[in-house]
Amino acid sequence: MNEEKRYSQTLWKRAFSRFKKHKTGIVGGILLFIFIFSAIFAEYISPYDPIAQNLEDRLQPPSLKHPFGTDYAGRDVFSRILYGTRISLTVGFISVALALIIGTLLGASAGYLGGWWDILIMRLIDIMLAFPAILLAIGIMAILGPKLTNAMIAVGIVAIPNYTRIIRATILSIKNKDFVDAARALGISPIRILFRHILPNCLAPIIVQATLGIASAILEAAGLSFLGLGAQPPTPEWGAMLSESRQYLRYAPWTVFFPGMAIMTLVLAFNLFGDALRDVLDPRYYR
Amino acid sequence: MYLKQWCFIIGNSAVPKKGGTLVYGRGGDSVKLDPINVTDGESLRVTHQIFDTLVKYRENNTEVVPNLATSWTVSKDQKVWTFRLRKGVKFHDGTEFDAEAVKFNFDRWMDEKNPYHFGGEFEYWGYMFGGFPGVVKSVTVVDKYTIRFTLERPLAPFLSNLAMTPFAIASPTAIKKYKEDFFKNPVGTGAFKFVSWTKGDKIVLEANKNYWDGAPYLDRVIFRSIPDNSARFMELEAGTIDLMDVVNPEDVERAKANPNLQIILRPSLNVGYLAMNMDKKPFDDIRVRLAINYAINKKALVEAFYGKGLAIVAKNPIPPSLWGYNDKIEDYPYDPAKAKELLKEAGYPNGFKTTLWAMPVPRPYNPQPRKLAEAVQSYLKAVGIDAEIVTYDWGTYLQKTENGEHDMAFLGWIGDNGDPDNFFYVLLDKDNAVKGSAGNIAFYRSDELHEILIKAQTISDKRERAKLYEKACEIVHRDAPWVIIAHTTPPVVAKKTVHNYKPHPTGSEPLYRVWKE
Repeated sequence: MNEEKRYSQTLWKRAFSRFKKHKTGIVGGILLFIFIFSAIFAEYISPYDPIAQNLEDRLQPPSLKHPFGTDYAGRDVFSRILYGTRISLTVGFISVALALIIGTLLGASAGYLGGWWDILIMRLIDIMLAFPAILLAIGIMAILGPKLTNAMIAVGIVAIPNYTRIIRATILSIKNKDFVDAARALGISPIRILFRHILPNCLAPIIVQATLGIASAILEAAGLSFLGLGAQPPTPEWGAMLSESRQYLRYAPWTVFFPGMAIMTLVLAFNLFGDALRDVLDPRYYR
Repeated sequence: MYLKQWCFIIGNSAVPKKGGTLVYGRGGDSVKLDPINVTDGESLRVTHQIFDTLVKYRENNTEVVPNLATSWTVSKDQKVWTFRLRKGVKFHDGTEFDAEAVKFNFDRWMDEKNPYHFGGEFEYWGYMFGGFPGVVKSVTVVDKYTIRFTLERPLAPFLSNLAMTPFAIASPTAIKKYKEDFFKNPVGTGAFKFVSWTKGDKIVLEANKNYWDGAPYLDRVIFRSIPDNSARFMELEAGTIDLMDVVNPEDVERAKANPNLQIILRPSLNVGYLAMNMDKKPFDDIRVRLAINYAINKKALVEAFYGKGLAIVAKNPIPPSLWGYNDKIEDYPYDPAKAKELLKEAGYPNGFKTTLWAMPVPRPYNPQPRKLAEAVQSYLKAVGIDAEIVTYDWGTYLQKTENGEHDMAFLGWIGDNGDPDNFFYVLLDKDNAVKGSAGNIAFYRSDELHEILIKAQTISDKRERAKLYEKACEIVHRDAPWVIIAHTTPPVVAKKTVHNYKPHPTGSEPLYRVWKE
């Protein structure tokens, strides 16, 4: 037991030292840190209330008073983006957590148990994969009703197949390894084998997939909000901000530019960070 | 350059050109094309082209002139109206227009037991004639081209009512043939014939070459629905549509600078309002309704979302261009402190939760419904009222508000006949606070107002009537069933090559005199 723990520590240590040399990963990490920091401390950083309208000051271009300008209701775009960071990150983490939990359970049971259960689960997953992600999400939203929490659920459900397939594939490659056979020979219960011996070995690909998954979850949730299905006004959600300001594109481009940039930068940050994690965690790069 | 100018001069000459297709860009699709069974302007705008009414309005005001009826007389007691009908008019299906056809239509509208009383709620008949059968006692065919109406009591706006687009004469044969599907297969006597309707996309009409008032100049008219105001404007700039209404204020400024576009202002005859459902708590309490009136800065809303010079802040349910407007009314000022105080008095010191219904389509009286709703939501929030914005597609929205399912709902009205009765009686009288077909979606039931409105219907002296409507303005102001938001002068933007388009104050106009270069 102790042996195993020590080994995993060295795995993380080695990964960290490799990460430090990964330039794009560092950039992604710094960007992520900035976003997470501003999400946590939005109250203290943002100069204005994100939903307080001030019709006299509407559509003001960026200035010292309003660094990102104001939108059609005179709300400070900078403050709205800061609060929007919180929403987008929450959506990203929660929907991925949802997908991860359900996906892991399904994938692990399918891979480990095999047989008819495996066939059943994987065919269901195939059916889900047959739909384009955003279309499936819209379908789920149509059932649940337009709300931010429902958008998280929809985006989470849509992401389940990814995790299920990765976990199942990894488990299939591990479950016949010698150390698993050894554990089985020692009479350890199957559940314990699954959680203590097999799943920890799937961690690396899951972490990578989850990090990249957050990026696509944020993008999908913003897409749903853009279509009016996600966050409802006056919530400062980036996709909703884009959608409600698009008619001013030609007259007040900053109302569209900054939310768009925010979405792009955050998604880029997660992608850079996720790619770097893959590079440092994937055994194929261990040479 | 010379050539261009030369073309321009020729093109602008007063000789109308025949042919061509006019593409009309608008914010929403029609609900039905059975004029009597709709209340929305986007349906009536189209049925106006397909059907004719007995009498009609002049092209730029609401003075009544002959249409399918060539002349009329009224008895001394104002109860019997006799109309001579136009001869030789044919419906699009080839059947003849005569007194029997007129009687068929009126019987269908006013008699709930009539076998052809189907296809909807016949809201407008109820609104204008006070129920089924309402004020009209009987319709009799005197001879093939003479029809007589006998009324229960004098009805001052009777003739103006008959000119309204909903009271258009449809082909009895077609109604019998299509039954419930008549709204998808409209057949009238109008200048344009119905060709096709792609739901949510477009309606195509073609010229009726045998129109009794002369064939239209245009070959075809296509009504396209493009819900997004700026997308619609971009289509106009790109030239894929010829004409659009409901324009964002910013786009109006841009259109002014575009040498290929012209801005035509529609004379104002409308009101945009926020109705509070008095059948529901807490809106039964006058203090709550007043609080909401005080909580909203209407001036800022109008400037931000209606555009400079395109609308005025409203204080009465009728626009100032209409007689009976009471200019002595002092509007509730923007005073959030007072609003909070009133809420406290009413027993809601911490406000309350409610829903705010936002219209799904832009209309001339509310060109940016979603943004207006958001701004109002924010004002309400400032006094502690937590309003969730709700919206449905247009047909559902209208039906649900008529059923009284809303708490607070945005809506508006474009006058149909230039008579204050058409605003007050339809929108605020208790007769029209009937669940299922309500015109009065505040469900405001005032006996005091009802008495005044009925009295104003029965007398014909205009000055006397104006006084009554001024009084009505006072009562509505006092009871505050609405937050009355704005009266607009809605802009229509068209290509310069479109000629003779004359927007009518009632919101729909005939297009058979319009021509294109």
